[in-house]
Amino acid sequence: MDQHTEHNSQESPDQPHLLAQRDGIKRPPLVLNKRTMGWISSYVSTIVESKTPLWWYISIAITSPIALLTPLLICYLVSTGVGVWGNNSPVAWAWDITNFVFWIGIGHAGTLISAILFLTRQKWRTSINRAAEAMTLFAVVCAGIYPLFHVGRVWKVYFLAPVPNSNAIWQNFRSPLLWDVFAVSTYFTVSILFWYTGLIPDLATIRDRCTTKIKKFFYGILALGWRGGNRQWRHYEMAYLLLAGLSTPLVLSVHSVVSFDFATSVIPGWHATIFPPYFVAGAIFGGFAMVLTIMLPARAIYPQLHDMITPMHIDKMCKVILLTGSIVGYAYLMELFMAWYGANPYERAAFWYRAFGPYWWAYWSMMFCNVISPQVFWFPWCRKNIFVVFIICMFVNAGMWFERFVIIATTLARDFLPSSWGMFHPTWVDIFTFIGTFGIFTTLFLLFVRFLPMICMFEVKAVLPEANPHYGEDH
Amino acid sequence: MNSHSDNNDKRPITHDGPASKSQESTAHSGVPLSNCFFDYKHVGGRFFGLVSISIISLLGCIALGMNNPKQFAFSWLFAFTFFLTICIGSLFWILVHHGIDVEWSVGVRRQMENVATLFPVLSLFFIPLIFVAPLLWKWMVIPHGSSHALLEKAAYLNLPFFWMRAAFYFLFFSLASLWLRKLSVAQDNDGDPKYTVMAREITFASLPFFGVCLTFAAVDWLMGLDFKWVSTMWGVYIFAGSALSSLCVILLIITALRSVGYLEGIVSERHYALIGQLMTAFTVFWAYIGFDQYMLIWYANIPEETTYFLRRNTESWCILNIILVLGHFLVPFILLLFRNPKKRPAYLCGIACWILLMHLLDIYIVVLPMIHPAGFHPSFLDLLSLIAIGTALAAVFLKRLGDVPLWPLRDPRLKDSIHIVV
Repeated sequence: MDQHTEHNSQESPDQPHLLAQRDGIKRPPLVLNKRTMGWISSYVSTIVESKTPLWWYISIAITSPIALLTPLLICYLVSTGVGVWGNNSPVAWAWDITNFVFWIGIGHAGTLISAILFLTRQKWRTSINRAAEAMTLFAVVCAGIYPLFHVGRVWKVYFLAPVPNSNAIWQNFRSPLLWDVFAVSTYFTVSILFWYTGLIPDLATIRDRCTTKIKKFFYGILALGWRGGNRQWRHYEMAYLLLAGLSTPLVLSVHSVVSFDFATSVIPGWHATIFPPYFVAGAIFGGFAMVLTIMLPARAIYPQLHDMITPMHIDKMCKVILLTGSIVGYAYLMELFMAWYGANPYERAAFWYRAFGPYWWAYWSMMFCNVISPQVFWFPWCRKNIFVVFIICMFVNAGMWFERFVIIATTLARDFLPSSWGMFHPTWVDIFTFIGTFGIFTTLFLLFVRFLPMICMFEVKAVLPEANPHYGEDH
Repeated sequence: MNSHSDNNDKRPITHDGPASKSQESTAHSGVPLSNCFFDYKHVGGRFFGLVSISIISLLGCIALGMNNPKQFAFSWLFAFTFFLTICIGSLFWILVHHGIDVEWSVGVRRQMENVATLFPVLSLFFIPLIFVAPLLWKWMVIPHGSSHALLEKAAYLNLPFFWMRAAFYFLFFSLASLWLRKLSVAQDNDGDPKYTVMAREITFASLPFFGVCLTFAAVDWLMGLDFKWVSTMWGVYIFAGSALSSLCVILLIITALRSVGYLEGIVSERHYALIGQLMTAFTVFWAYIGFDQYMLIWYANIPEETTYFLRRNTESWCILNIILVLGHFLVPFILLLFRNPKKRPAYLCGIACWILLMHLLDIYIVVLPMIHPAGFHPSFLDLLSLIAIGTALAAVFLKRLGDVPLWPLRDPRLKDSIHIVV
C-alpha cells in the first residue's frame, strides 16, 4: 500500500489542490514525531519523578493563599450568618448558586471525555482524559462548597441525608434540591472511582520506576498491588467499561437535575422544558473550555506534551466547543422565541428585563461570550492558533458564569409584583469566596500535576500504530 | 490510512462496467466493486403492486375523506409526519456523517441518501394538507381580533408567513439532501476526495438551517395544532424520535439488501453492532427528552401548559401513553443492552420494527387526540393515509435504488469503514 501511495503522489505532483484536499481526508496521527512506547512512559513519569521545578513553587505560593480565602470566609460566614453574603429578598439565590452551577458545569467535561468518548471509541481522548477527569473532581469540590453553606445552618446539613431523626423530620423527596444532593454526591463518588481505576496501571508504572523506598511504598499502596498480569488487565478492562457505562447517564443526570432546580418552578424565565439538555450542553461547553484553559498552559510548560496533546486534539476540542456553544445558542433563542410565542406577559417581561433591564450587560456579555465568540471556531486557522483558542476559552469561561448569573439573579430581581423588585449587589465576602474557589481549583490541579501522571500513559500507548496487532503487515 | 490512494482507479462506473471488471477492481483497490448495482429482478411485479396499492389507498382516502374531512386531515397529517420524521432523520445522519467525518457509516450512507432524497416526493404529499389546513390549524379560522393570544403572536402565526415557511422547509430539506447525494454519486466515478471535502462544507453550512427547519416545522405543524400551547423542548422531542426511527429504517433497508445478496463485504456484523449502539443511545435520548418535557410540565402544573398532557393522559389515550413509555423506552432499552445479540441482524431488525411501530404510536398520540378528546378512536383513514404515503415513497425508493451504486464505491473512507473495529 505504501508503494501505491508513492506511485500516486509521483503521478500528480503538479496538482497542489489535490494534495490540499487529501489533507482534509488524511487522519493525523494521535502521537506526533513517531514517539515510542518507552518514550511515553519515561517522559510522563519524569514529570512526576524529577525535582520540583521552580515555576511550581512560585505558582503554588500564589494559588494556595488564594485558596485559603474560601475556608476563612466560610468560617466568617458560619460564625456571623448568611447575611454576610449579598443575598436578599427577592434575590435569595445569588452568587452562591451561580457559582455552584458554574463549577458543577465545569465538572462535566472530564467524565464526558472519559466515559462518553470511551464508549464512542474516540481514540483522541486518551491523552487528555486523565487531566480532564482530575479537573472534574476539583471543580465538583469547588461546587459542593456552595450549597453546603447556602443551607444557612451547616451543622444541620445532615438533614439532607435520608436518615430519620428524633424530630421525625423526613426529607422532601419531591424537591429537586434534594435530588441535587443525591445527583452531585453520586456523580462525585463514581467520578472518583472512575478516575482512580484509570490511574492504577500508571501508578504501578511510577511505583516500578521509583528510586527511593518511601516513594515506592507510597505509590505501591496507591497502585493496589497492580502487577499487569493478563487476568488483572481483563478485570481492569471490564471494570473500566462498566464504570464508563455507569458514568455516562450520571454526566447527563447531574446537570439535568441542576436544571430541575430552576425548571420545575413557576418562575418566568426559569420554567422552560428545554432546560435539561440545554444545561447539559452548556456544562460540556464550559467544561471543555476549562480543560483547554488548564491544558494549554500545561502544554506550554512541558513542551514535549505537544507530541501527545497535538494540534489535532485542540482542533477537536474547539469543534466540541463550537457545537455545544451553538446548541446553547439554540436554547437561548428557543427560550426567547417561545417566551414571545407563548404570549404570556410575565414570561415576555422576564426576557425583556434580561435583555434590556438593569442587568442588560450580563445578558449581552453572556450572548457574546457563549454564542458569538465560539463561532470563530468555524475557521480552521482560529482552531490552530493557540492564542485565539485560549482567548475564546476565557470568553467561554466568563460567558458560562454570566449565563448562570443571568438565569438566577436577573430573573429573581424582577418579581411578579414591581413592589417586590430588587437588585443584587455582591458583598466583599461573595467576591473573595468565589476568587478563593479558583485558588482551590488551581492548587489542587498543581498538586495533581506534581504527584500523579497527568497523561494516561498506557492508554496513549494503546493508540500508537505499533499497538495495532496488524502493524507492519501489508494488508 | 492511505486509503485515498486507492482512488486512482478512474474507470467510470456503469451498470455493467464494474461487474465485468470486478476481479481486477477488487484486486486493485482492496474494496469490492462487484454487485454494486441493484437488480430490478428482486422487485419484479411488486413495484406495480406498490404503485397500485398507493393509488387505491389514495382514492380510498379521498372517498372517505369526502365524508369526514376532519378525520382525513388529522390522519393525513399523522401519516405525513411519520414519513417526514424518517426523511429528516436520514438527512440528520448524513449531516453527522460528513460533519464529524465518520468512518463506519460510509457503507450504509448511500441508503441514508436514498431515503433523505425522498423529500421532493414527500413535499407532494403535503399538498392535501394545504386544502384541509383550516381544519387542522385552528388559528387559521379564528376571526381577527377575537383571540387575544392569537393577536399577540400574529406576527408569526399568519397565513402568508406560514406557507412561506413550509415552502422554505421543503426547499431546504430537498436541496440539501439532493446536493449531498449528488456529490456522493459523483465520487463513485473518480473517487476524487474533493467531493468529500465539498460535502463537509455543505454540511457545515446546512447544519444551522437543519436545526431551524426541523424545529419550526415541528412548531408549525404539530405544536400549532393547539396554538396556545408552548414547550421549548418540542423541536428536540421531534428530533429525538426522527433520529431513532430513521436509523431503524436504514437498518431494515440494508438488511433487506443483504438478504438478496448485496452489500457483501461492505456491511458486516460490526456495523450492526454499531447501529445497535446508536439505537440504544437514541432510545435513551428520546426517553430523556420525553421525560424532561413531561416531568417539568407536570411538576410546575401551569394550566396553559398542562393542556397538552391532560388531553393525552385522560380517557383511553392514557393507556396508549403508558404503552408508549413502556414500548418506546423500556422494552427496546432492555433488549438493546445486550451486547452480543446486537450483532445479529434478525435480533436488531426485530427491535427496529418494534421501535418504528412505537414511533408511529408516538406521532399518533401527538396528532390524533386533537380531534378525539373523548378517547382513542381508530379510523380506517389513519391506516389508509399511512399506506398511501408509505407505498408511494417505497415505490419511488425502489425505482431510484438501482440508478446509482448501493454504496459509495470510491469514498476515501470506504476501506476504513469495511475494516472498522468495534
